[in-house]
Amino acid sequence: MDSSPELQRFLQEEKQKAMIAEMVGKLTSECWDKCITSTPGSKFSSSESTCLANCAQRYLDMTMLIQKKFQSMQQ
Amino acid sequence: MDPFSSPSPSGGSSGQSVPSADVLMDQVKTQLAQAYAEEFFETVRSKCFTKCITKPGTSLSGSESSCITRCVERYIEATGIISRALFSAHR
Repeated sequence: MDSSPELQRFLQEEKQKAMIAEMVGKLTSECWDKCITSTPGSKFSSSESTCLANCAQRYLDMTMLIQKKFQSMQQ
Repeated sequence: MDPFSSPSPSGGSSGQSVPSADVLMDQVKTQLAQAYAEEFFETVRSKCFTKCITKPGTSLSGSESSCITRCVERYIEATGIISRALFSAHR
């Protein structure tokens, strides 16, 4: 099967999109569990929506911290 | 029926025909979209069952039904909040 560069590019792009979708899905699941502790209401309280946004950003901070730790352990 | 097969052309020794790149890309996109939708449905189902059906009765009560409706809406909203938080953090 001829794998044209167009197909390669397309597959790369879709792979990226899938990785992002997976991360969003996983994070939403975990942050929902952490932040939405009572019965869902007709809208989020401001503490709930703040918690969700914080949760995503702290996850990123934590990821960088872990990467740095791994790098320092390799030296 | 295998979505990637197409009827083999008459004549020609190997008889194998390959869909065009465009057709393949469309099929991949459709199948991916379907897979995402199914996974999302499953996640929402699980989360809202946990939150709303705490003591299963002999039928879904009115409060359980409205809880589930709100839960689905909130979960979709939460997905948006997380997406935006992840991608505005990169600026």
